[in-house]
Amino acid sequence: MGFLEWLQGTWVGVLVAESLWGYPLFETIHSIGMAMMIGSLGLINLRVLGVKPDLPLLDTRALLPLAWLGFTLNALSGSLLFTSDAVYFWGKYTFRIKMILIILGGINAALLGRRVFREAAAGVPAPPPAASTKWIAFSSLVFWFGAVIAGRLIAYAP
Amino acid sequence: MEFLVWLENTAIANAIRTIPWLYPTFETGHYIGLSLLVGGIMLIDLRVLGFARPLPLKSMIGLLPFVWAGFLINVLTGSLLFIYGATTFGTNGAFLLKMAFMVLAGLNALAFDVSVRRSGGSWVAADRPPSLVKGFATLSLVFWLCVVTTGRWMAYL
Repeated sequence: MGFLEWLQGTWVGVLVAESLWGYPLFETIHSIGMAMMIGSLGLINLRVLGVKPDLPLLDTRALLPLAWLGFTLNALSGSLLFTSDAVYFWGKYTFRIKMILIILGGINAALLGRRVFREAAAGVPAPPPAASTKWIAFSSLVFWFGAVIAGRLIAYAP
Repeated sequence: MEFLVWLENTAIANAIRTIPWLYPTFETGHYIGLSLLVGGIMLIDLRVLGFARPLPLKSMIGLLPFVWAGFLINVLTGSLLFIYGATTFGTNGAFLLKMAFMVLAGLNALAFDVSVRRSGGSWVAADRPPSLVKGFATLSLVFWLCVVTTGRWMAYL
């Protein structure tokens, strides 16, 4: 527990917790980053699953910078929100579930990137996604939307 | 005000207040709708402005059904959340600003749609959005981000 108490006692933690603008500002950024990340990564996953076949599959990697921007915004704003009340958040099952879902979602995104985009970069024409690749895309959607749900429920559930 | 009081005392509002988990469920639905609506709008606007050029403009504008789905989810969940605390939300400065930004975003989307139809979609096929349309896309990004921001600040103002 020592670390968490230290964290929320740092000037950053105190600033986010006690200033009038800190918490709502980073919450707002967290919502915008969420839309960015889920919008772009969600679309890539849906395309792998065969939705919107008029989008060239390999070219959907053009959406990755936006997904990374959203992820970075949310890692930063999320860390700052966590800092403001570290003991409280760490004690919540919903928060821990959210973190696990994000790790799973991250692993999935890396796997999907290897399968779908890496060979394309080497100039190999892409075959239609294999069933196992589609499972990765589907579970990715489940993990990321699960993270949104778990995150929203932190305020209401243990 | 009388209308807000009436709204807050309807059977639906009472149900949302008394049945556990209803309010958090609608709020969660509102966030999922937000991801679809703002995520989709953002992709379309950014593509019009030249981001992710390898993806065909026409296909990206074709993401509109996702945007509409998100919009409908959020009108529904948002209305339910509103009647739960109509007298509080209806007099909240941030909420009123949010509604104003939604009207602006709606009018802007209408202007965007009219420009697409007037041109017969020729700039869509040629992937050359006129600067007027790029202006609409920029305004759309600004208005929707303002909708999210003012919505988020409702709890604090």
